[in-house]
Amino acid sequence: MWTRERLLLLLPALLLLAVVVALPVLRVVQLSLYHVELHQGIVLRWAGAAQFSRTWLDTRWWATLLNTAVFTCCSVALEMVLGVVFALLLHRRFRGRGVVRSLVMLPWVLPTAVMALAWSWIFNDSFGVLNDLLGRVGILSAPVAWLGAPHTAMITLVVADVWKTTPFVMLIVLAGLQGIPEQVLEAARVDGLTAGQRLWKVVLPLLTPSLLVALAFRAIQAYGAFDLPYVMTGGGPGGTTETVSLYAYHNYFRYLDFGYGSAVAVQGAVLAGLLVASVLHVARRLGAKRT
Amino acid sequence: MGDSWKPLDVPTAIAVLALTVPACAPPRGVNARDTQIAVMLPPSERSFWEPIARRFESEHPGTHVELVEGPQSTDLRENLYTASLLARDPTFDLVYMDVTWTAKFAAAGWLAELGAHVDDERRAQFLPAALTAGEFEGELYRLPVRTDVGLLYYRRDLLEAAGVQPPASFEDLARTAAALQSPPRLWGFVWQGKQYEGLVCDFVEVLTGHGGYWVDPVTLAVGLDRPEALDALGFLMRCTRDQAISPPGVMTYQEEESRRLFQDGRAIFLRNWPYAWRLSQADGSPLRGLVGVMPMVHAKGAAPSGTLGGWGLGISAFSRHPELALEFIHAATSLEGQRSLCGPTGYAPARRDAYRDPELLAANPFLTQFERLHVNAVARPALARYALASDILQRHLSAALSGADSPRHALSAAARETRLMLGGPALAATESRSER
Repeated sequence: MWTRERLLLLLPALLLLAVVVALPVLRVVQLSLYHVELHQGIVLRWAGAAQFSRTWLDTRWWATLLNTAVFTCCSVALEMVLGVVFALLLHRRFRGRGVVRSLVMLPWVLPTAVMALAWSWIFNDSFGVLNDLLGRVGILSAPVAWLGAPHTAMITLVVADVWKTTPFVMLIVLAGLQGIPEQVLEAARVDGLTAGQRLWKVVLPLLTPSLLVALAFRAIQAYGAFDLPYVMTGGGPGGTTETVSLYAYHNYFRYLDFGYGSAVAVQGAVLAGLLVASVLHVARRLGAKRT
Repeated sequence: MGDSWKPLDVPTAIAVLALTVPACAPPRGVNARDTQIAVMLPPSERSFWEPIARRFESEHPGTHVELVEGPQSTDLRENLYTASLLARDPTFDLVYMDVTWTAKFAAAGWLAELGAHVDDERRAQFLPAALTAGEFEGELYRLPVRTDVGLLYYRRDLLEAAGVQPPASFEDLARTAAALQSPPRLWGFVWQGKQYEGLVCDFVEVLTGHGGYWVDPVTLAVGLDRPEALDALGFLMRCTRDQAISPPGVMTYQEEESRRLFQDGRAIFLRNWPYAWRLSQADGSPLRGLVGVMPMVHAKGAAPSGTLGGWGLGISAFSRHPELALEFIHAATSLEGQRSLCGPTGYAPARRDAYRDPELLAANPFLTQFERLHVNAVARPALARYALASDILQRHLSAALSGADSPRHALSAAARETRLMLGGPALAATESRSER
């Protein structure tokens, strides 16, 4: 019912959204249809879909897309599993639970840039704690430059991201757990289900909505990862940790190529939307089948 | 004809607003009716600019120079200037810029032309390489304040103890480093191998030292797939792999990581900028009096070289007080200005007479050596999309160094992409020029 009163009450929020979300998004879409020339000023020339066809031949675009996909899949999968495990642990009653719960949230509270810098020092070959520890235990005979080789650099980024955002998944799952009525679990116990069966047949299906929320949020955030690779690797070595957002940023701010940067951003956003929609679709179907 | 650039897009406006609101509030002791000019600086330099600004204000009554502290990171300051200039915002009258920004900002039409206001006599006061770095397509946009040049530092004590001369060629450097090192306690040669601008600076020195070139400034020919480039990359590969005179982590090092290793007495040779000298000779440094400095070594028949860096001042095209801003540039680049900035910091001045100034020499005795080293300065190409050219080179060098690609393939890919980049926009530019 769109009464005038309701519209009026909604207006401030709608206006705010229009100004800070809709306008910039539309502007980016518009810019993606232009060539940007740097010659005696910044000159825009109509390009139609040319910027999008340019991505097809751009090996760097495909490489960043692949990097982003690898990073998103690995980090989100690990975070979901660890998040659920931690949530189940912290859902049990034990002494000092409140303190532990707050401590576990700490990584999530830290600014990404700060913790990324700390991680890059931890993984440093000469001054890093990790190499020192592994060397003392005898696992490593010589220090490893974790951020200096393509595979280990990606693993380092995933580790840092998992460390930071697992608490977020845990928090949402914990809230979901608290929403499961005690009677349901009681009934399952009376029916003679083992702990494993209760988890698999009762708790997880009832958690599906929370899990989907966490999954969607994490997938979108991981796909848009910018600060972590920006601080830790700068996209290196050899461009193997450059993400789509980092590439769009380089085009915008460093090359002043707003047209191509916008095309990269628009295409990246569309792909991310498709990805999340399909993941949610599949997950919902699975959830529907099981309950 | 294209649409002209419309500045009012909202995110930029908000970013600029957030940036300018604190700067708008006049500090205490400032008359609101004063004519104000503003410049953004790294926080570490602000206190050394303070005397220059206050002296300028006393010589120009009714004016105020606002020194805005930006972030310490060069990239972030470049982003803030970019956002502000993109919005045609007049907040910053002066742009305090790195050598590599000049071409981009000038091509975007964000800088006022200075050529008409700087006569030959004035030009002759500066180190030629530092002055030329402020030009784009024949026009002057920036006057240099301080310069940087890539240098090779070495442990004089270790070389003398072993009875070896400082190296002359790349072979010498590799041999001496391999003979004297004992890794992981003492490494032969540390430099900057992370995928970022520093890697390009290091490579340009080694490339020039092999007689090669990256992009020819006149013909725009690309020299990255020539044999000299392969030799240059081969040398860097040898450092990290075959002879391993550099630690594996050199692939992740920027200036500070490599300098710390050297300063801790854990490296024999270091490639770095002039700032490392003062720190190595500071009170409490274990290296006091034990360090030698020279230009990067070179192959037979090629010249020694150091990549040119440095900072200078330009005037924003959107400044409301360009004449006053120009006056301030003259004050900052006067001998007195150089004394204030370079005396306490140890930065290398951009004026030639500063290298013979008794006051500066008393503060920084090493200046006598540095003027000589500037003769070898090599500029990075002045391209409007320099950042893209640099990224292409960084990515492929880093891929080869990390073993993800072969050196030959990496360099030919870098050459191809650079040619594509130079051909594409350059052709488009001539096209639109003829339409005008």
